[in-house]
Parts: sequence; C-alpha cells; structure tokens
Amino acid sequence: MGGVSSHAHVDLKYGDGGMSTTISTRTVHSDKSLMREKMARSLAPYLLVFPSFVGVMAFMLIPALAVIVISFFKWNMLSPPNYVGLHNYVDILHDPIALHSIVTTAYYVLLNIPLQTVVAIMLALLLNRRLPGMGIFRALFVLPWLAAPVAISVVWQWVFDPTSGVFDALLSSIGLPRLQWLASPTEALPAVALVNIWQWTGYNMLFFLAGLQGIPKYLYEASELDGSGKVRQFFSITLPLLRPTLLFVLVTSVIGSFQVFDTVYVMTQGGPGTSTNVYNFYIFQQGFQFFHMGYAAALSVILFVVILLVTLFQMRFVGKRTTYDLG
Amino acid sequence: MGNVVTYIVLIIGAFISVFPYLWSILTSLKPENQVFSSHFFSLPTHPDWGNYVHIFQSVDLGRYLLNTLFVAVVSVAGQVVFGSLAAYAFARLDFRGKNAIFLAYLSTLMVPNIVTLIPLFIMMKYLGWINTYYALIAPTVLGTPVGIFLLRQFFLTIPAELEEAARLDGAGILRTFVQIIIPLSRPILSTLAIITFVSSWNNFLWPLIVTNSDQMKLISVGIASFQMQYGTEWNYMMAAATVALLPLVILFLFFQRYVIESIQLTGLK
Repeated sequence: MGGVSSHAHVDLKYGDGGMSTTISTRTVHSDKSLMREKMARSLAPYLLVFPSFVGVMAFMLIPALAVIVISFFKWNMLSPPNYVGLHNYVDILHDPIALHSIVTTAYYVLLNIPLQTVVAIMLALLLNRRLPGMGIFRALFVLPWLAAPVAISVVWQWVFDPTSGVFDALLSSIGLPRLQWLASPTEALPAVALVNIWQWTGYNMLFFLAGLQGIPKYLYEASELDGSGKVRQFFSITLPLLRPTLLFVLVTSVIGSFQVFDTVYVMTQGGPGTSTNVYNFYIFQQGFQFFHMGYAAALSVILFVVILLVTLFQMRFVGKRTTYDLG
Repeated sequence: MGNVVTYIVLIIGAFISVFPYLWSILTSLKPENQVFSSHFFSLPTHPDWGNYVHIFQSVDLGRYLLNTLFVAVVSVAGQVVFGSLAAYAFARLDFRGKNAIFLAYLSTLMVPNIVTLIPLFIMMKYLGWINTYYALIAPTVLGTPVGIFLLRQFFLTIPAELEEAARLDGAGILRTFVQIIIPLSRPILSTLAIITFVSSWNNFLWPLIVTNSDQMKLISVGIASFQMQYGTEWNYMMAAATVALLPLVILFLFFQRYVIESIQLTGLK
C-alpha cells in the first residue's frame, strides 16, 4: 500500500521530464522509498510497544521474579543480603502472628464477599425494574466507590466511635446494647469489613445491572407462559445467565479484599491486639517498619500462591458452564 | 405496592451510600463546640469555615492537593498515550514475538500489587528516587497491562476496512492510528482515563512507602499523617477528609454517565 502512494508521488514529480530519465529515476526512487516504507512498517510495531515493554518489564515482570529471589535472603538494607535458602519460609510457618494474620484475612474475605455480592445483586434487580428516577439511585450507589479509602476511613472512625459516633447514638436510641466497634477485638474486623462492603457494593452492582440488561426479555415471557413465578425465574433464568458476571465480580472482589490495607492502617493499625492484623498489614510491618525485606518478600510470595489457588478454584466452580447458547 | 417497597429499599440504600459524605461535610462546617452538642445531621447554625482555615494553615494541604493532581494527570496522560500505542500494535500489526510479549503482559495480570511492592521499593531506593515524583509516577506512566488489554479488546472491534481505506490514501501507521482509531475509541480512552485518575487520586500504600518528606506527600498520605497529629478532633479531621473526598465527587457530578459506563466497560473482558 505504501508502494502505491510513492509511485503516485513520483509520477507527479517527474512526469513532464524526458521519457528515459523519468523511468530510471522513478525506479530508483520508488525502490528506495519502498524499502524505507518496508523498514518503517516492520520497525513501527516495536516502536509502538517499546515504552510499555520497558514499563512492564522494569516495574512488573522483573520485580515479580525478583521477589522470589529476595525471599531467599535475609536483608535489612543496611548490611549486604545474606543467602538463607528456604529459611524465611520455615520461619513463617513458626510465626504465630503470620499464621494468625492468614486466618484473620480469610475471615475478613468471608465477612465481605457473601454480603457484598448478595446485596449488589438485589440492588441490581431493583434498579433493573426501570422505574422513574433509577438513574439517580444508580449514581448515588456509585459514590462510595469514589471515596479515597484513607479519607473515608477517618469519617467511619467517627461513625464507629463508641461514645460519640452515629452508630452508638442509633443503637442506644432504639434500646439495643451498645457496641465497642473498632475498640473491641471481636467487633473491629467486622467493622472494617463493613466499610469495605459500603465502598464496593454499588460498584459491583453496576456489573450485575449490565449483566441483567443483557438477558433477553423473551426468556422471561416464555417462562411466564409456562407459569413459573418470580422466584423460580430468578433461579432458573437470571442467576445462570449472570454466571459470567458473578465470576468476574467474585474473582476481582476476592483478590481485592485479600489485599485490604488502607482502612486497617487508618482505623485500627492492626489492633486491638492483633485482631485486625491482616496479611498485607503484616507484610507492610515486616518490610517497612522492621526492614525484614527477605521475610516480607517470602510473605508476599505466599500471598501470591494463595490468591492464585483461590482464583483457579473460583474459575473451576463458579466459572463452569458459563456459556449458554441463546440462539 | 411492589414499586413502593422498591423505592423504600432504594432510598435506604442511597442514604447509606451518601451519609458518610454528608456527615463529614456537615461536621466540617461546625465549630468545635457544636460538634458534639448538636444533632448529627443538623445543619450548622451558620457555616463556619474556621476548620478549613485552620487545617490549611497547620499542614500544607494545598501542596498535597497539587502533588496529587500532578501525579494523577501525568499518570493518565502516560497511560492513555503509551497504552493505546501498544494496544494498537497488539490489535492490528504483525510482528515477530507479538504473541510472546502479549502473553508476558497478560501474565502480570495475575500478580497482585503487593507482590511487587518490596522489589519496587528496593529498586526506587537504589535509583535514588525515594521522595521524588519519579517514584510516584514511574510504575504506571508507561502503560499498564490492564489498560493495554482493555484498549486492545476495543480496537479489535473496530472494522479493519476503515484503516485499509486510509492507508490506500497514503496514510502511514501513525496517521491511521491518530485519524481513524483514536476518534472511534473515545469511550474506551475516557474509561481508562477515569479509572486511572480515580485510582491515582486515592492511591495510598505506594506513596506511603516511597515518600516521607512533607513536600512530596500526596493527599491520602497527608490525611493519614494529619490523623496521627489530630486524632479525634473531629471538626478538623472531617474538614481534612472533605478536602480529599470532594474533588472526585464534584468531578463525578459532571461526568456521572461516563463514569458509570466506564466502570461497566472494564467488566467486558
């Protein structure tokens, strides 16, 4: 194609000269520009990809491999790194705080995911009824997603305040027993989870809403003719057809809640005691408060493996039979 | 009847979604003596800007905001430019090693951010980039695999005939890209821009570990250190939180429809 254009160009330029010279210049010139054109075509893709390639290599792939190497060393960044083989991993297995943080994180994920997902689906079903004003509700439900976790955690900290917070006033005004919220070892983690649920439910709802809008109406009409009720329709049509969306939402929100950090950092600093010492917070402490770089690296490698396994598990059990022939 | 129940549930949901914002804004406008005595959602007797004046004087919030804006804008620009160039090559051009490189990009999608945190920090330390904009910007400015993947999927849906026509007219790769692909890709480019801007504005852990000087702080880090200082002086804390929260809310009010469509587009992988 480039060749075509350079021919046209050459013809115009040398067209009114003598016949013989025209032909020879034309051949030479077009060969040259054809080659330049070819060179450019074959080089161009590399030039286009190059910046991102540098970025991905330097800031993602190489660090992802380096973390494994670092995990075999003891290194406080003051003295040279010291090769210790698998010692960091063995230490983790004998570190009660590390083990406790794994349990805490798993508990946190379990507190989050079911509630957040069920409420998101319910809200999506309501919004999908397309009554007047639904656009406004949809917009309001997305607002929490925008909030900087650090800033909104400060606000929630006051909401949870056991003596002057909104929740305390609410509970005591309707005569329920008062809670300690973030100050209690048993209530702090659910409270942190509540903030996360607040932040992500509306966001996840958007995917379910898009999923619902993709389900053809005639399926419901057909099943109504068969006399099935709303509940039956939900379980036999809506839920199966939402399965790809459900998989996407579950995978992304599980990965996200495994990595909770900001809210814990602001609201509890891992406490009271170690009750909200989630895994990422422990990695942060080991790496950037105690400067145990090798140990923190080993902790992150383990997290990577765990997240990978959980994701594969979800793909296997939620993702099966995701395609339905609607033709 | 069913409609009434629907609206009641939605109104409760909407109130839960906005009440932390409301509460922080209302409290930020009350002087200290009204914070505890007045009812929670009562309006301040008259708006008192004193809390804002106080916090802007006691910490350099203006500087934090400018830092945050600068980092977010540069990240957005870099991701849109470098990301779309790479995505175009992956979607449309043939070159040796294309599949291998693309696969390498995809493989990083499986790696959670926290995993690369330690090596990246060490790298920044050795580059001497701690406490510089380089550390805040470098990891995302050259384009991220998520963004490139998103753009590539979109470019693949653009009919190739459009580019053929342009090329027959003598347009080179870059011109075809700028004149044909870019105008058709506005939705996905604004998606990438919006998602990048929001996540950059709200980012915390990375800026927390690569900056410690006051003049390099981003707004989230600034709020966290402000909290260490002011703890439970809620009128000041709510003013500081509002300063961090409100810019995105205001942007959202203007671009609401785009933002919502953008989020939904990221799910269409």
